[in-house]
Amino acid sequence: MSILEIIGGLLIVIGSIFLFLGALGIYRMPDVFNRLQAGTKASTLGAMATILGVGLLAPGWIFKVLIIILFIAYSNPISSHALARAMHKRKGYMYFKDEDIDAYSEIEEKDNSEK
Amino acid sequence: MKIAIILISLGILGFYLMDIFFGIGFGVQHFSNGVKDLYLSNSKDILKVSNVVTSIVVNFRGFDTLGEVTVLFLASTALGGILYKKRHHVGERSVLFPASRIVMSGAKLLFPSIVLLGAYVFIHGHLSPGGGFQGGTIIATGFLLMLLTYRNYSVSHNRLVYFESLAGILFISIGLVGYFSKGSFLENVLPVGNMNDLFSGGVIGIIYIAVGFKVAAELTGIIYTVLHEKD
Repeated sequence: MSILEIIGGLLIVIGSIFLFLGALGIYRMPDVFNRLQAGTKASTLGAMATILGVGLLAPGWIFKVLIIILFIAYSNPISSHALARAMHKRKGYMYFKDEDIDAYSEIEEKDNSEK
Repeated sequence: MKIAIILISLGILGFYLMDIFFGIGFGVQHFSNGVKDLYLSNSKDILKVSNVVTSIVVNFRGFDTLGEVTVLFLASTALGGILYKKRHHVGERSVLFPASRIVMSGAKLLFPSIVLLGAYVFIHGHLSPGGGFQGGTIIATGFLLMLLTYRNYSVSHNRLVYFESLAGILFISIGLVGYFSKGSFLENVLPVGNMNDLFSGGVIGIIYIAVGFKVAAELTGIIYTVLHEKD
Protein backbone atom coordinates (compact mmCIF):
# COMPACT_ATOMS: atom_id res chain seq x y z
CA MET A 1 0.00 0.00 0.00
CA SER A 2 1.62 3.18 -1.17
CA ILE A 3 1.44 6.55 0.50
CA LEU A 4 -0.78 7.93 -2.30
CA GLU A 5 -3.37 5.23 -1.68
CA ILE A 6 -3.44 5.97 2.05
CA ILE A 7 -3.88 9.71 1.48
CA GLY A 8 -6.53 9.07 -1.17
CA GLY A 9 -8.47 6.74 1.10
CA LEU A 10 -8.29 9.22 3.96
CA LEU A 11 -9.56 12.01 1.67
CA ILE A 12 -12.48 9.85 0.54
CA VAL A 13 -13.38 9.10 4.17
CA ILE A 14 -13.18 12.81 5.10
CA GLY A 15 -15.29 13.73 2.09
CA SER A 16 -17.89 11.12 2.95
CA ILE A 17 -18.09 12.43 6.53
CA PHE A 18 -18.65 15.97 5.24
CA LEU A 19 -21.28 14.81 2.75
CA PHE A 20 -23.05 12.93 5.54
CA LEU A 21 -22.95 16.00 7.79
CA GLY A 22 -24.34 18.11 4.96
CA ALA A 23 -27.23 15.70 4.49
CA LEU A 24 -27.84 15.66 8.24
CA GLY A 25 -27.81 19.46 8.25
CA ILE A 26 -30.44 19.63 5.51
CA TYR A 27 -32.62 17.34 7.60
CA ARG A 28 -31.93 18.97 10.94
CA MET A 29 -31.62 22.76 10.35
CA PRO A 30 -34.63 24.99 11.06
CA ASP A 31 -34.95 27.34 8.05
CA VAL A 32 -33.95 27.75 4.42
CA PHE A 33 -30.75 29.70 4.95
CA ASN A 34 -29.38 27.35 7.55
CA ARG A 35 -30.23 24.41 5.33
CA LEU A 36 -28.51 26.07 2.38
CA GLN A 37 -25.44 26.63 4.50
CA ALA A 38 -25.30 22.98 5.51
CA GLY A 39 -26.25 21.63 2.12
CA THR A 40 -23.87 23.68 0.01
CA LYS A 41 -20.80 24.41 2.10
CA ALA A 42 -20.43 20.92 3.50
CA SER A 43 -21.24 19.21 0.24
CA THR A 44 -18.81 21.42 -1.69
CA LEU A 45 -15.95 20.38 0.57
CA GLY A 46 -17.19 16.79 0.71
CA ALA A 47 -17.47 16.42 -3.06
CA MET A 48 -14.08 18.07 -3.65
CA ALA A 49 -12.34 15.87 -1.09
CA THR A 50 -13.96 12.70 -2.38
CA ILE A 51 -13.06 13.45 -6.00
CA LEU A 52 -9.50 14.42 -5.07
CA GLY A 53 -9.22 11.12 -3.19
CA VAL A 54 -10.35 9.25 -6.29
CA GLY A 55 -7.74 11.16 -8.30
CA LEU A 56 -5.00 10.12 -5.90
CA LEU A 57 -6.12 6.47 -6.00
CA ALA A 58 -6.11 6.49 -9.82
CA PRO A 59 -3.28 8.88 -10.80
CA GLY A 60 -4.16 8.67 -14.51
CA TRP A 61 -7.30 10.70 -13.89
CA ILE A 62 -5.63 13.52 -11.97
CA PHE A 63 -6.14 16.20 -14.66
CA LYS A 64 -9.80 15.34 -15.12
CA VAL A 65 -10.17 15.39 -11.33
CA LEU A 66 -8.57 18.82 -11.06
CA ILE A 67 -10.88 20.19 -13.76
CA ILE A 68 -13.92 18.76 -11.96
CA ILE A 69 -12.73 20.30 -8.68
CA LEU A 70 -12.27 23.67 -10.37
CA PHE A 71 -15.77 23.39 -11.83
CA ILE A 72 -17.31 22.54 -8.44
CA ALA A 73 -15.31 25.31 -6.78
CA TYR A 74 -16.84 27.94 -8.99
CA SER A 75 -20.26 26.63 -9.85
CA ASN A 76 -21.44 25.46 -6.45
CA PRO A 77 -20.99 28.76 -4.52
CA ILE A 78 -22.59 30.74 -7.36
CA SER A 79 -25.65 28.52 -7.49
CA SER A 80 -26.08 28.52 -3.71
CA HIS A 81 -25.70 32.30 -3.72
CA ALA A 82 -28.44 32.58 -6.36
CA LEU A 83 -30.72 30.29 -4.34
CA ALA A 84 -30.17 32.20 -1.11
CA ARG A 85 -30.66 35.57 -2.81
CA ALA A 86 -33.88 34.42 -4.47
CA MET A 87 -35.15 33.20 -1.11
CA HIS A 88 -34.24 36.52 0.50
CA LYS A 89 -35.99 38.49 -2.25
CA ARG A 90 -39.13 36.41 -1.90
CA LYS A 91 -39.15 37.19 1.86
CA GLY A 92 -39.19 33.51 2.60
CA TYR A 93 -39.67 31.73 5.88
CA MET A 94 -37.01 32.71 8.42
CA TYR A 95 -36.55 31.09 11.77
CA PHE A 96 -35.22 34.20 13.52
CA LYS A 97 -37.74 36.58 12.00
CA ASP A 98 -38.60 38.24 15.30
CA GLU A 99 -35.04 39.23 16.07
CA ASP A 100 -34.87 41.50 13.03
CA ILE A 101 -31.43 40.49 11.81
CA ASP A 102 -31.23 41.17 8.09
CA ALA A 103 -27.72 42.27 7.19
CA TYR A 104 -28.10 41.67 3.46
CA SER A 105 -30.91 44.18 2.98
CA GLU A 106 -28.90 46.79 4.92
CA ILE A 107 -26.00 46.29 2.52
CA GLU A 108 -28.34 46.45 -0.44
CA GLU A 109 -29.87 49.72 0.77
CA LYS A 110 -26.40 51.15 1.16
CA ASP A 111 -25.52 50.01 -2.36
CA ASN A 112 -28.65 51.56 -3.81
CA SER A 113 -28.12 54.87 -2.04
CA GLU A 114 -24.54 55.06 -3.33
CA LYS A 115 -25.75 54.65 -6.88
CA MET B 1 -43.90 27.50 -58.60
CA LYS B 2 -42.75 27.00 -55.01
CA ILE B 3 -45.56 24.51 -54.40
CA ALA B 4 -44.63 22.65 -57.58
CA ILE B 5 -41.01 22.30 -56.45
CA ILE B 6 -42.11 21.07 -53.03
CA LEU B 7 -44.52 18.55 -54.56
CA ILE B 8 -41.93 17.26 -57.02
CA SER B 9 -39.27 16.80 -54.31
CA LEU B 10 -41.80 15.13 -52.02
CA GLY B 11 -42.75 12.82 -54.87
CA ILE B 12 -39.13 11.85 -55.52
CA LEU B 13 -38.60 11.26 -51.80
CA GLY B 14 -41.78 9.23 -51.56
CA PHE B 15 -40.80 7.10 -54.56
CA TYR B 16 -37.46 6.18 -53.05
CA LEU B 17 -39.01 5.58 -49.62
CA MET B 18 -41.54 3.21 -51.22
CA ASP B 19 -38.64 1.45 -52.85
CA ILE B 20 -36.92 1.04 -49.48
CA PHE B 21 -40.08 -0.11 -47.72
CA PHE B 22 -40.92 -2.74 -50.32
CA GLY B 23 -37.35 -4.02 -50.14
CA ILE B 24 -37.62 -4.79 -46.42
CA GLY B 25 -39.81 -7.88 -46.75
CA PHE B 26 -42.15 -7.83 -43.77
CA GLY B 27 -43.04 -11.09 -42.11
CA VAL B 28 -39.89 -12.83 -43.30
CA GLN B 29 -37.67 -14.07 -40.52
CA HIS B 30 -34.13 -13.18 -41.49
CA PHE B 31 -32.36 -14.24 -38.32
CA SER B 32 -33.19 -17.17 -36.11
CA ASN B 33 -32.30 -15.52 -32.81
CA GLY B 34 -33.41 -11.94 -33.35
CA VAL B 35 -31.03 -9.20 -34.42
CA LYS B 36 -29.21 -8.63 -31.12
CA ASP B 37 -26.25 -10.86 -31.91
CA LEU B 38 -25.94 -9.29 -35.34
CA TYR B 39 -25.92 -5.79 -33.82
CA LEU B 40 -23.33 -6.74 -31.20
CA SER B 41 -20.97 -8.42 -33.63
CA ASN B 42 -21.45 -5.89 -36.45
CA SER B 43 -20.79 -2.84 -34.29
CA LYS B 44 -17.59 -4.45 -33.01
CA ASP B 45 -16.27 -6.02 -36.20
CA ILE B 46 -17.62 -3.98 -39.10
CA LEU B 47 -18.19 -0.49 -37.68
CA LYS B 48 -15.45 -0.66 -34.99
CA VAL B 49 -17.57 1.36 -32.55
CA SER B 50 -17.11 0.77 -28.83
CA ASN B 51 -20.48 2.31 -27.87
CA VAL B 52 -22.97 -0.23 -29.21
CA VAL B 53 -25.98 1.94 -28.33
CA THR B 54 -24.64 4.68 -30.58
CA SER B 55 -23.99 2.33 -33.46
CA ILE B 56 -27.56 1.03 -33.22
CA VAL B 57 -29.16 4.46 -32.80
CA VAL B 58 -27.23 6.20 -35.55
CA ASN B 59 -26.30 3.52 -38.01
CA PHE B 60 -28.45 0.40 -37.84
CA ARG B 61 -31.54 2.34 -36.76
CA GLY B 62 -30.54 5.70 -38.22
CA PHE B 63 -33.89 6.17 -39.90
CA ASP B 64 -35.62 6.14 -36.48
CA THR B 65 -33.21 8.82 -35.26
CA LEU B 66 -34.10 10.94 -38.27
CA GLY B 67 -37.73 10.55 -37.20
CA GLU B 68 -36.92 11.60 -33.63
CA VAL B 69 -35.09 14.69 -34.84
CA THR B 70 -38.10 15.49 -37.01
CA VAL B 71 -40.42 15.15 -34.00
CA LEU B 72 -38.31 17.66 -32.09
CA PHE B 73 -38.30 19.99 -35.09
CA LEU B 74 -42.10 19.75 -35.35
CA ALA B 75 -42.48 20.44 -31.61
CA SER B 76 -40.35 23.58 -31.80
CA THR B 77 -42.17 24.73 -34.93
CA ALA B 78 -45.56 24.18 -33.32
CA LEU B 79 -44.51 26.06 -30.18
CA GLY B 80 -43.26 28.94 -32.31
CA GLY B 81 -46.55 28.95 -34.18
CA ILE B 82 -48.61 29.05 -31.01
CA LEU B 83 -46.56 31.77 -29.30
CA TYR B 84 -45.84 33.79 -32.43
CA LYS B 85 -48.48 36.46 -31.78
CA LYS B 86 -47.04 37.31 -28.42
CA ARG B 87 -43.52 37.70 -29.71
CA HIS B 88 -44.07 41.20 -31.07
CA HIS B 89 -43.07 42.99 -27.93
CA VAL B 90 -39.59 41.62 -27.68
CA GLY B 91 -37.48 43.47 -25.21
CA GLU B 92 -36.62 43.00 -21.59
CA ARG B 93 -38.04 39.87 -20.12
CA SER B 94 -40.45 40.04 -17.22
CA VAL B 95 -38.21 38.90 -14.39
CA LEU B 96 -39.00 39.58 -10.76
CA PHE B 97 -35.60 41.05 -10.01
CA PRO B 98 -32.31 41.22 -11.93
CA ALA B 99 -29.56 38.73 -11.20
CA SER B 100 -26.79 39.81 -8.88
CA ARG B 101 -23.29 40.72 -9.96
CA ILE B 102 -21.87 37.44 -8.71
CA VAL B 103 -24.27 35.43 -10.85
CA MET B 104 -23.61 37.65 -13.86
CA SER B 105 -19.84 37.26 -13.82
CA GLY B 106 -20.13 33.59 -12.89
CA ALA B 107 -22.46 32.90 -15.81
CA LYS B 108 -20.02 34.60 -18.16
CA LEU B 109 -17.33 32.18 -16.96
CA LEU B 110 -19.58 29.14 -16.94
CA PHE B 111 -21.16 29.59 -20.38
CA PRO B 112 -18.08 28.70 -22.49
CA SER B 113 -17.31 25.66 -20.35
CA ILE B 114 -20.90 24.41 -20.64
CA VAL B 115 -20.77 24.79 -24.44
CA LEU B 116 -17.40 23.03 -24.49
CA LEU B 117 -18.78 20.14 -22.43
CA GLY B 118 -21.76 19.82 -24.77
CA ALA B 119 -19.49 19.80 -27.82
CA TYR B 120 -17.29 17.17 -26.13
CA VAL B 121 -20.30 14.98 -25.40
CA PHE B 122 -21.58 15.00 -28.97
CA ILE B 123 -18.18 14.71 -30.64
CA HIS B 124 -17.29 11.70 -28.47
CA GLY B 125 -20.74 10.14 -28.85
CA HIS B 126 -19.40 6.97 -30.43
CA LEU B 127 -16.73 6.46 -27.75
CA SER B 128 -18.38 7.30 -24.45
CA PRO B 129 -21.91 7.59 -23.05
CA GLY B 130 -23.82 10.48 -24.51
CA GLY B 131 -24.33 11.67 -28.03
CA GLY B 132 -26.01 14.28 -30.15
CA PHE B 133 -29.21 14.65 -28.15
CA GLN B 134 -27.45 14.88 -24.80
CA GLY B 135 -24.74 17.24 -26.03
CA GLY B 136 -27.29 19.50 -27.69
CA THR B 137 -29.32 19.63 -24.49
CA ILE B 138 -26.23 20.59 -22.48
CA ILE B 139 -25.50 23.44 -24.91
CA ALA B 140 -29.12 24.60 -24.63
CA THR B 141 -28.81 24.72 -20.82
CA GLY B 142 -25.84 27.04 -21.30
CA PHE B 143 -28.03 29.37 -23.34
CA LEU B 144 -30.76 29.04 -20.69
CA LEU B 145 -28.28 30.17 -18.04
CA MET B 146 -27.34 33.24 -20.09
CA LEU B 147 -30.98 34.06 -20.85
CA LEU B 148 -31.94 33.79 -17.17
CA THR B 149 -28.99 35.87 -15.99
CA TYR B 150 -28.92 38.73 -18.47
CA ARG B 151 -32.23 40.43 -19.06
CA ASN B 152 -31.32 41.76 -22.50
CA TYR B 153 -29.36 38.74 -23.76
CA SER B 154 -30.80 37.74 -27.09
CA VAL B 155 -30.25 34.87 -29.49
CA SER B 156 -30.47 35.56 -33.21
CA HIS B 157 -33.45 33.60 -34.45
CA ASN B 158 -32.20 33.61 -38.04
CA ARG B 159 -28.90 32.11 -36.98
CA LEU B 160 -30.69 29.35 -35.06
CA VAL B 161 -32.83 28.51 -38.10
CA TYR B 162 -29.69 28.52 -40.27
CA PHE B 163 -27.84 26.06 -38.00
CA GLU B 164 -30.90 23.86 -37.66
CA SER B 165 -31.55 23.64 -41.40
CA LEU B 166 -27.88 23.08 -42.19
CA ALA B 167 -27.68 20.23 -39.68
CA GLY B 168 -30.85 18.63 -41.03
CA ILE B 169 -29.61 18.89 -44.61
CA LEU B 170 -26.28 17.33 -43.56
CA PHE B 171 -28.06 14.39 -41.89
CA ILE B 172 -30.31 13.66 -44.85
CA SER B 173 -27.58 14.15 -47.44
CA ILE B 174 -25.32 11.66 -45.63
CA GLY B 175 -28.21 9.22 -45.71
CA LEU B 176 -28.78 9.83 -49.41
CA VAL B 177 -25.07 9.41 -50.20
CA GLY B 178 -25.26 6.05 -48.44
CA TYR B 179 -28.36 5.13 -50.41
CA PHE B 180 -26.93 5.98 -53.79
CA SER B 181 -23.47 4.50 -53.29
CA LYS B 182 -24.11 1.48 -51.05
CA GLY B 183 -27.78 0.77 -51.61
CA SER B 184 -29.46 1.54 -48.30
CA PHE B 185 -30.33 4.76 -46.50
CA LEU B 186 -27.69 5.91 -43.96
CA GLU B 187 -25.28 3.14 -44.98
CA ASN B 188 -21.74 3.81 -43.84
CA VAL B 189 -19.67 5.28 -46.67
CA LEU B 190 -16.56 6.49 -44.82
CA PRO B 191 -13.58 4.42 -43.64
CA VAL B 192 -14.21 3.01 -40.16
CA GLY B 193 -10.72 3.36 -38.66
CA ASN B 194 -9.64 1.64 -35.47
CA MET B 195 -11.72 0.91 -32.41
CA ASN B 196 -11.63 3.58 -29.65
CA ASP B 197 -10.12 6.21 -31.98
CA LEU B 198 -11.78 9.59 -32.34
CA PHE B 199 -12.00 9.08 -36.11
CA SER B 200 -13.75 5.75 -36.06
CA GLY B 201 -17.21 4.51 -36.83
CA GLY B 202 -17.48 6.13 -40.25
CA VAL B 203 -20.46 8.45 -40.56
CA ILE B 204 -21.57 8.13 -36.92
CA GLY B 205 -19.40 11.02 -35.72
CA ILE B 206 -20.57 13.36 -38.47
CA ILE B 207 -24.24 12.47 -37.96
CA TYR B 208 -23.93 13.02 -34.21
CA ILE B 209 -22.32 16.42 -34.76
CA ALA B 210 -25.25 17.32 -37.03
CA VAL B 211 -27.77 16.03 -34.47
CA GLY B 212 -26.00 17.94 -31.69
CA PHE B 213 -26.18 21.24 -33.58
CA LYS B 214 -29.79 20.60 -34.53
CA VAL B 215 -30.95 19.73 -31.01
CA ALA B 216 -29.02 22.65 -29.50
CA ALA B 217 -30.56 25.12 -31.96
CA GLU B 218 -34.08 23.73 -31.52
CA LEU B 219 -34.02 23.65 -27.72
CA THR B 220 -32.47 27.11 -27.55
CA GLY B 221 -35.23 28.35 -29.83
CA ILE B 222 -37.89 26.75 -27.62
CA ILE B 223 -36.40 28.23 -24.44
CA TYR B 224 -36.07 31.66 -26.05
CA THR B 225 -39.65 31.59 -27.31
CA VAL B 226 -41.05 30.53 -23.94
CA LEU B 227 -39.01 33.09 -21.99
CA HIS B 228 -40.19 35.88 -24.25
CA GLU B 229 -43.84 35.09 -23.73
CA LYS B 230 -45.58 37.86 -21.81
CA ASP B 231 -49.05 37.76 -20.40
